[in-house]
Amino acid sequence: MSVPTLTFQSNDGVEITVARDVAERSVLIKNMLGDLGDTDEAIPIPNVNEAVLRKVIEWCEHHKGDPPNTGDDDDSRRKTTDIDEWDQKFMQVDQEMLFEIILAANYLDIKGLLDVGCKTVANMIKGKSPEEIRKTFNIQNDFTPEEEDQIRRENEWAEDR
Amino acid sequence: MSKRHYEDGLYALHAPRPSKRGRLPNGINRISTLSDETLLHILSFLPISSLIVCQRLSYRFNALAQDSELWKRHYYYRWVRQPRRYANSRQTVLPVVEYSPKVSSWLNHSHLANAGIRMDWKGQYRLRHNWSRGVCRVTEVELSQPYLRPALIAFCAGVIFTVDHDSQLRARSTQSPAFCLAEISLTCPRAHPAALPTAVTAMNGSRPNLIEIAVGFEDGHFGIYNMDTTSSPLRICFNSAGSTNGAITAMSSLYPYLLLVSHHKVLSLFRLGTDFSVPVHLLPREPTLLSSLEADSIMEPMSLSVRSAGSDVITSIVYSFYHAGCGWSLGIQESLFSCSTGLQKETRLTTTVDSQYGICTPLAHSCSGTDQSCSWVETNRKNTSRLRPAEPSIHHQEAPTSVSYSHPYLLSSHTDNTLTVYLVMSTSAGLCIKGAQRLWGHTSSVSAVQVNERGKAISVSSQGDEIRVWELEGLVSAFGRQRARRHGNSIRICPGKKQSDISDLTPSSRAKDNSLPNTTQGPHSITKISDCIRFDDERVLLLRGKKIDGQMLKSYDFT
Repeated sequence: MSVPTLTFQSNDGVEITVARDVAERSVLIKNMLGDLGDTDEAIPIPNVNEAVLRKVIEWCEHHKGDPPNTGDDDDSRRKTTDIDEWDQKFMQVDQEMLFEIILAANYLDIKGLLDVGCKTVANMIKGKSPEEIRKTFNIQNDFTPEEEDQIRRENEWAEDR
Repeated sequence: MSKRHYEDGLYALHAPRPSKRGRLPNGINRISTLSDETLLHILSFLPISSLIVCQRLSYRFNALAQDSELWKRHYYYRWVRQPRRYANSRQTVLPVVEYSPKVSSWLNHSHLANAGIRMDWKGQYRLRHNWSRGVCRVTEVELSQPYLRPALIAFCAGVIFTVDHDSQLRARSTQSPAFCLAEISLTCPRAHPAALPTAVTAMNGSRPNLIEIAVGFEDGHFGIYNMDTTSSPLRICFNSAGSTNGAITAMSSLYPYLLLVSHHKVLSLFRLGTDFSVPVHLLPREPTLLSSLEADSIMEPMSLSVRSAGSDVITSIVYSFYHAGCGWSLGIQESLFSCSTGLQKETRLTTTVDSQYGICTPLAHSCSGTDQSCSWVETNRKNTSRLRPAEPSIHHQEAPTSVSYSHPYLLSSHTDNTLTVYLVMSTSAGLCIKGAQRLWGHTSSVSAVQVNERGKAISVSSQGDEIRVWELEGLVSAFGRQRARRHGNSIRICPGKKQSDISDLTPSSRAKDNSLPNTTQGPHSITKISDCIRFDDERVLLLRGKKIDGQMLKSYDFT
């Protein structure tokens, strides 16, 4: 008996075959299959290129055994930015790939992957000065020095915890 | 602030923006290609120290990092969840408490988490943070110089009402108490031109933005005034005829009820007229006297309170008296009135004597009251077994300097630098006062205390402007445990200072004033210090009169 599979087509035209249970980590795909039923045709994934799609599938394969993440009240994970070791290694990619993965996880609705991606970014922000963060992400400072200073002063109360 | 639909679901499908992402060279601002929702998701993993840094990154991050939902979460974790875990920490099973927007899980914060009202959670977090640190901004207003006679103060819906030495009722804004929103002369032309005002209370009126103010006078009559906070002139509604009961010394109110006590120990409950078919300024609404009660042995200081409980309204008077065995004690008498008929259903009395001896009188029968009161009965039973009768009793040589009662918390302040807190249990089965507990923290005689129904209490000592904030909500569950008293759960208010640094604020005048005895005279004494505290969620108001210094109104702003 062969494992049921699906075929995805990335936006650069590459077809990738995946086990169905792996593909169903994506709530988008799962719902789509629920609506359309089984399909043998390649499912086009716009907005996601081959490299990113392979990365996403790699993550889904590793995590296919995870318990499904349900419920909006599940917030304990928010308390911490701890990432397990495999995911940390998985996320050791350049910024371009990191944000592509986040966008793809958001689009495909893979909550676990989105969390890991967002935590990775959060860890890049933590403990840095505004200037360091701007440098890390190439964020343009559109404040005047006076404006930035005012925001700093408004938040002085929260600095010592 | 950017527009979003956060509540619609953070994880809703958002097609990535059509972008040139793939073609961007290195050194390009990639993080900004993410949608607001995704950025908020990232920010939700950050601690507050990082959020305030993110605010300084750019306009967009400034808006996102101030997001109210982010701060609501932090508020929940710091102020709602932590204390609850702490309260449960002595139990074996620790319930898993997670953030939930549901009001029911917010315990004492449910007034904030009410559905449908947009909250500024960052503001709330900051407010709470400042309270916990005792950090605030002080503004002082001099009401009279030299000191003539005590001014009176009431605080309702963010408006301060003072009755000053010149018999003017003034409404003042909390932002700048020196500024008068409105004023009206109390020397009403109809009658009693010479009577001096002796008590004031304010309450939310029959409709939103309407505040009703009642002023009691020396000759026993009282006047009802009201103020529309949107248009804000003060108007006289009603002036009662004089009474032979003597000066009105204390008042309390909960619309439409007005409770007052006169010097000759007569307690009266009035119901304000509720005929709204005619404009209020045309027809004086005459309050009707529902009940009157006389007592002989009660002494100042005393405290009145009115609260509603379902279809009943409960009036309480707390008074001091001298008990041969344990010195000064408090008595509490409460009366139940039916809201619909206005008839008195029940009245009952209890005192703190038993609890001062360390005896806990459990209620005999299970109650049919609210869930809340039932759980107290259980707690009470559990604790009774633990209480040792040999526990030293609380003995007060001198009368309390002030008492404050806001169900279920009853506090008295004493000249021996302490406060005593009691828990009052009022169920259909009876009225009972549960174990007394001394609160230490002040370093000089405590001159006034005020408590609210959520268990926040503010106390002030007679010298040195030492103001302390007490969070007593934990006591309900911690009562009877010896450990509870060791948690000095008070915070000293340090105006304009970041750290609570007590040592450098020691009043230099302490030695001189140490002999000051506060006796049975209560807050209306002219020769003594008269302190009066009022507070709400954002501010503490201290009205302080000293013969030499004149009368000062201080506002401690925590926002």
